[in-house]
Amino acid sequence: MAHSAFKNSAVKDSALEKRPAGKATAAGPAGGGPRGRTARRRRLVDSVTIAAFLSPAMLLFALLVLVPILYALYTSLFKWGGFGAPENFVGLENFRTLFKDEVFLGDLWRGFVLIALSVGIQLPFALSMAVLLNQKLRGRAFYRLLFFAPYVLSEVITGVLFTMIFAPDSGLADHALDLVGLGDLGITWFADSSTVLVTLFLVMTWKYFGFHMILYMAGLQSIPRDVLEAAAIDGASAWQRFRHVTLPLLGPTIRISVFLSIIGAIQLFDLVWVITAGGPVHASETMAITMFQFGFKRYQVGYASAISVVMFLICFVFALVYQRYVLRRDLEGAVTSMRGRR
Amino acid sequence: MGTEPLSRRSFLAAAGLAGISVPVLGACGGDSDDSGGSGKKVTIEWWNIATTEPGRTLWPQAAKAYEAAHPNVQIKMTSLENDAYKSKMTAQTASGKLPDIFHTWGGGVLEQQVEAGLVKDITGGVAPWIGNLSPISVQPYQLGGKTYAVPYDIGMVGFWYNKALFAKAGIKAPPATWAELLDAVRKLKSAGVTPIALAGKEKWPGHYYWSYLAIRIGGVAALKQAAETKDFSGAPFVQAGQRLKELVDLAPFQNGFQGASYPTTDGQAAQMSNGKTAMELMGQWAPNVQKEMGKGLGDDLGFFPFPTVAGGSGAATEVFGGGGGNALSKDAPAEALDFLKFFASVENDRKRVASKAFLPIAKGAESAITDPNLKTVSQTLNNATGFQLFLDQAFPPAVGQEVNDQVAALVASKATPEQVAQAITKTAKSQ
Amino acid sequence: MTLSPPRRPPRHRADRPGGRPAGRLTGRTAARVRGLSMHALIWIVGALIVVPLLYGLLSGFKSTSELSTNPFGLPEDWVPENYTGLLGSGSFWRQIFNSTFIAAATALVTVAVSALAAYVFARFAFRGRELVFTFFTIGLMFPFAVAVLPLFLMLRALDLLDNPLGVILPQAAFGLPMTIIILRGFFRTIPGELEEAAIIDGCSAFGFFWRILLPMARPALATVSVLAIVTSWNNFFLPLLVFTEPDWWTIPVGVQQFKGQYAEDTARILAYVVLAMAPALAFYSVAERQLIGGLTAGATKG
Repeated sequence: MAHSAFKNSAVKDSALEKRPAGKATAAGPAGGGPRGRTARRRRLVDSVTIAAFLSPAMLLFALLVLVPILYALYTSLFKWGGFGAPENFVGLENFRTLFKDEVFLGDLWRGFVLIALSVGIQLPFALSMAVLLNQKLRGRAFYRLLFFAPYVLSEVITGVLFTMIFAPDSGLADHALDLVGLGDLGITWFADSSTVLVTLFLVMTWKYFGFHMILYMAGLQSIPRDVLEAAAIDGASAWQRFRHVTLPLLGPTIRISVFLSIIGAIQLFDLVWVITAGGPVHASETMAITMFQFGFKRYQVGYASAISVVMFLICFVFALVYQRYVLRRDLEGAVTSMRGRR
Repeated sequence: MGTEPLSRRSFLAAAGLAGISVPVLGACGGDSDDSGGSGKKVTIEWWNIATTEPGRTLWPQAAKAYEAAHPNVQIKMTSLENDAYKSKMTAQTASGKLPDIFHTWGGGVLEQQVEAGLVKDITGGVAPWIGNLSPISVQPYQLGGKTYAVPYDIGMVGFWYNKALFAKAGIKAPPATWAELLDAVRKLKSAGVTPIALAGKEKWPGHYYWSYLAIRIGGVAALKQAAETKDFSGAPFVQAGQRLKELVDLAPFQNGFQGASYPTTDGQAAQMSNGKTAMELMGQWAPNVQKEMGKGLGDDLGFFPFPTVAGGSGAATEVFGGGGGNALSKDAPAEALDFLKFFASVENDRKRVASKAFLPIAKGAESAITDPNLKTVSQTLNNATGFQLFLDQAFPPAVGQEVNDQVAALVASKATPEQVAQAITKTAKSQ
Repeated sequence: MTLSPPRRPPRHRADRPGGRPAGRLTGRTAARVRGLSMHALIWIVGALIVVPLLYGLLSGFKSTSELSTNPFGLPEDWVPENYTGLLGSGSFWRQIFNSTFIAAATALVTVAVSALAAYVFARFAFRGRELVFTFFTIGLMFPFAVAVLPLFLMLRALDLLDNPLGVILPQAAFGLPMTIIILRGFFRTIPGELEEAAIIDGCSAFGFFWRILLPMARPALATVSVLAIVTSWNNFFLPLLVFTEPDWWTIPVGVQQFKGQYAEDTARILAYVVLAMAPALAFYSVAERQLIGGLTAGATKG
């Protein structure tokens, strides 16, 4: 790897130092002394440190993440059933088939719907709960605990629980509808292709909104109180304070939460697999489910690899664009920002 | 691993085979702790799907009994839930290593494993005693004239119905033709009874309808031909879709059937078991699962074979079904085959049959059937003039899954009969 | 230590109309109304969260037949056997132990390896740093489910099947990107003067990392550990493929197996599900302070 030239971050003239001034590491000059030999020795020490500190992560990552990715990329060029070495090279044929496959195109559409629902409903909901819980409120710690709790439950367990809750006729949800006099609607939740996606989204919200809420709460708490107070003194209403002070300052947190939510929606697998396995008739199928169906049920591993490559590319391009135009520099640090630390 | 050379030698000796490259079975555990003991100790890995009763009791019993008779053999069982088993086997197959003994449904998946060179050809080994088994039961595991697995169960699909509900709807006799079946559905509906239970989430129960209709219209021969020419666009298959659509248009299934599983407390079996629906199209295991999942119908439960279709060339005696068997990995020790022989013996088969969850595969075990419905099924099977294995198992996995998916789409009114036939053909041709 | 916020809040809002706040009395009433509706909203959301969990818990005390006749109310006949039967079974405890062990080991490996890397990314400038960093963030784009088949072949080649490392190492590898991103951000906020001082005092890079940086980053480390533990605890597919020995099965694998095994006994499945989530919830309620503390570090007084 590119370890050829190293510079200690503490060295003042670090030309490679791209971080904005004022950030922590762009600190004063190194401990003085003649630059020549000391500096060279130091550079050597630094490069050894860098190599030593990075190599475990590099090794683990290369072996267990990169190699599988590259292998998937390689096999996506073959018509391959998963046994023996891939031999039947078909070039980009799998990809051409893929983009004519109605199920896969449907996956893209459903992914888009889930993203829209997540970003349009789930995240604003999480944000409003975060704002609520950010106030002085009795039992606040308890609610925070409660709202986050579903996040720690496994997808399999959540899936089993909600399959039973939304069981047609006998489940809890149907009894609840009966109680409020809506039982005659005959909603069958996961069993109807017109309701399955929304029902699934309800479960996703139940499970994941707490995570985003916690992120927002972290962001909210890093907003200096005096700023809000100043705005209040200036006569800004609560909504104005939220709209013009809180929201802009929460920007980095919101952007990373949107990022994680979108990536999560694109990669959605476990929950759907346990609850509907993609049905009825593909109505809740996601890209990952389609991939799995082909790889594990149909023994069309080459084709399945092509799906995973496309998924990866979609996420990758999205991440690049998002990072370039939206996140800019706040990808790192937004989650555990030390801003306003006293 | 200090014992590796020893265990390697013992495996070679046991298997009587040269060229076994990896003696310790890796993923399959295979940690034979034969430290210094007799060189003949053998550990056999056995993966199966016996996680529910009565298999959960019978399988370990058989293993124990065999171990008792052969002290040098240790059988290590891994029982996995159906879906988990399939996923795990896919990964295992991809890695090129299968357990010594593994459950198989035969047909297309087994064929792929055979083609990958992972399954032992046991034609010669079973030759002395395979004649003791019913020919139909062995059929799913015979590929290209060779035998690759030994069955433990065989059966067929047919309609299981609730006599009381049929009587309530004024249906005198079980329908013998498709028209009569449609008529029965109408009568049941007007009597306020849900006619048919279907596990739509699982897809495979739905594919029975289309497959059986195709058999009745074109005969088993039509399916054999389609499998060879990879062409499912012929008249029998389009017509099968059209007939099925007639049924679907009557909305015969229970509320929310598209989300229903088969063996859960509100699934297809439970619907029947608790008297909520009048019939289901299911295999020989249906009565047992019904009993497990609910109250059970007792004497009210009846069986009738799949109706004939007017103008169809398939005979009423042609049957559609399947069972279960055990295959051996290419490196399995000789003891593994011996165990399969033991497992398929009349004594063991009678035990299985007596549990009412299995039908006999061994000649002479028929007398253990006590249930009148199962007797009917067994006799129909024995008098069959043609046999077709479940399509989602007979065909290569991609084609089988496509059949399931397409029929599910048809049942959900999301595809036309023509589209179904075309899509299946397209997948078959791409194989 | 005080770090100036990177961006000043928009001050020009002051010229908005609004004037003085409304009178005292009406203000207080409005506040009370607002408080009440706020509480009502939180209560409703809380109920929506609790009801499914409670439903599972109570249903576990019913018989399956009662479940269909009486889905809502308290059990008419309490059937504690569903729970006690499980608690008395060795395999359940075995799975709890496995899940715990694997989760703890995963967290340890993930955090240790990530912290070293994040330190380099945060405190050293070298050519190609951003490239290498991007290389790690690629992992975020690659879902676990998608990689599972090639990963399985890789594990098989490394002889890691039926070995806890076969689950721990991949989980750690897939956890690296997120952990490195979080830790890097955190490490960057620690002032450079501190490092200077340490180096002048003769601290090596590792010495600074070990004795100063890590202790200071405790909240962030706690956060990423909890995330790693939660992810590991919930992983289903990898343990299913890696472990053939039931002795190694983790809770999610056990749940799936149990569900197949006792499909006829919904109440018992729910009891199992409830027991399986109890440790996660208990752990969370203990670790909550750490987790939220880490995520919100910066607001609290350090």
